[in-house]
Amino acid sequence: MARNTYYGTLVLQIYLPIAELSVNLFFLVGIGGAVGFLSGLFGVGGGFLLTPLLIFSGVPTAVAVASVTGQVVAASTSGALSHYRRGGVDLHLAMYLVLSGIVGAFGGVAAFDLLREAGQLDLVISLGFLVLLGFVGVLMLQESVRALLKRRQGVVVRERQANQHNWIHGLPWRVRFKKSRLYISVLPVLLIGLFIGFVGSLLGIGGGFIMVPALVYLLRVPGSVVIGTSLAQVVAMMAATTVLHAVQSQSVDILLAFCLMVGGVAGAQFGAAAGMHLRGEQLRGLLALLVLAVAIRFGLSLVLTPDDVFSMAVTSVAP
Amino acid sequence: MIRFALAVFAIVCMVLPAGAERLFSSVSTETVQITSSFDGERLTFFGTIAPDAGAEQKFVEGPFHVVVVVVGPTQDRVARKKTNNFGVWLNTEQVEFKGFPSYFHVLASTRLRDITDVNTLTTNYILPESHAISPNPAGWWQTLNFGHELIRLMSEQDLFGVQENGVLFHSESFYSAQLTLPSNAPPGPYIAQTYVFKDGEIVARKSDGFAVRKIDFERFVALSATQYPLLYGLACVALALFTGWLGGVLFRR
Repeated sequence: MARNTYYGTLVLQIYLPIAELSVNLFFLVGIGGAVGFLSGLFGVGGGFLLTPLLIFSGVPTAVAVASVTGQVVAASTSGALSHYRRGGVDLHLAMYLVLSGIVGAFGGVAAFDLLREAGQLDLVISLGFLVLLGFVGVLMLQESVRALLKRRQGVVVRERQANQHNWIHGLPWRVRFKKSRLYISVLPVLLIGLFIGFVGSLLGIGGGFIMVPALVYLLRVPGSVVIGTSLAQVVAMMAATTVLHAVQSQSVDILLAFCLMVGGVAGAQFGAAAGMHLRGEQLRGLLALLVLAVAIRFGLSLVLTPDDVFSMAVTSVAP
Repeated sequence: MIRFALAVFAIVCMVLPAGAERLFSSVSTETVQITSSFDGERLTFFGTIAPDAGAEQKFVEGPFHVVVVVVGPTQDRVARKKTNNFGVWLNTEQVEFKGFPSYFHVLASTRLRDITDVNTLTTNYILPESHAISPNPAGWWQTLNFGHELIRLMSEQDLFGVQENGVLFHSESFYSAQLTLPSNAPPGPYIAQTYVFKDGEIVARKSDGFAVRKIDFERFVALSATQYPLLYGLACVALALFTGWLGGVLFRR
């Protein structure tokens, strides 16, 4: 590590071998820590914040997306393990989600490569974040505001309406998931896994913030196993995605990922501790606002006149 | 007889003009090593102008101008332009430049326009813009426009540049030039092409090579990522799982 003093401040620069540029080490560990804090606080992987932050700070989009998948694995591992010890993981359900997720990830990584060659990767990533985060953010905000209002009126909010079934529960090929106390069709389970695998590998996000609402509202998985199962699924699927990115686009920067991991894992512990002082619906409301803010940021980048209409990219390195 | 001797003398004069110069030059570093602490490196190009071998004169007569052109490994690059389509900004136009230098810096002893004419500068690829006017299937107008923008983008990243006070003469014939290679300089073979100008003409030239290479850990990582991508990916996952687990163990109270 080089120690250079610019204007009296200590700057530690670290050279990233795959991104091929040198970045301030404190900056990397810092954003890893900050995002880790938020992910510990809200129980999400934090990829949806980290990937954009890296892109805005000059890391090539491909390297940012691929390396963050590695970071998400680390950030979700400790959470998944502690939920597993408490019996909060439905392994049977997670397996279905992971297997279809890996199929989706194959598609996502292939689409990622095609789009990068066509020069439309940044566009699709911006659009994807805008639509996905906007949609989920609005839903979450609505739900948490409603819960907050009800609580103020003194209505007891039930976590789960056990006898309320929707059309999803009428589909064929039903499988019994013991831990989740569910007897449902595998079709919606596989579709959710497929979709999150595709989107997650394309956008460099774990997809926890889509998975949790999907499990709760679509499949009606009980609250005690939702977070654990979602985390276990994220770990397994992002691990597979990391390997896929490493093989196909060769843009996983292990040093970048490691710096982010160290910050992220430490930050997550403080975030989880801070989360104890907030109520569930308050947390969800705050997370919704955060998600919406990122969505709006991406939306603006598509609509506002860019600072520079020209951009460049390396298509291939001549031998 | 006298006429014949004069003719021979004239031919000799043409073949060996009065001021035939040659250039001795060198680079301070042959291999720029990229380590984890790589944050750019300063290189020095230096040389001396001497009478050519076989020339009769004992010393050279200036004034000379020296231009050092440092060119990095070539890549295929595209320049893309966003246009507004129904309110959304999309990349719609692009021009690909094959074999475009990934690094291009010109160091000169004075302003280029005072050294020689634009023709000499472009035909010898001394001006950055000379890369924007090379033949391209996109057509010359698009190539010129996008090439110009590409050079601007490269300059903003410090990968392209012209320093017209970059070469310093310490005597009539001894010069040195300093160049700071930025941390984002792409690894690969580099060439420093040095031109000596006198009265607007190139009187001597020489090229020196140097390499920018990743070494030790950086080299190991970059090689593993390209040669053993599957193992590399698995190693990344193992590292992530271990870090996550360790974090959980360390911070649990």
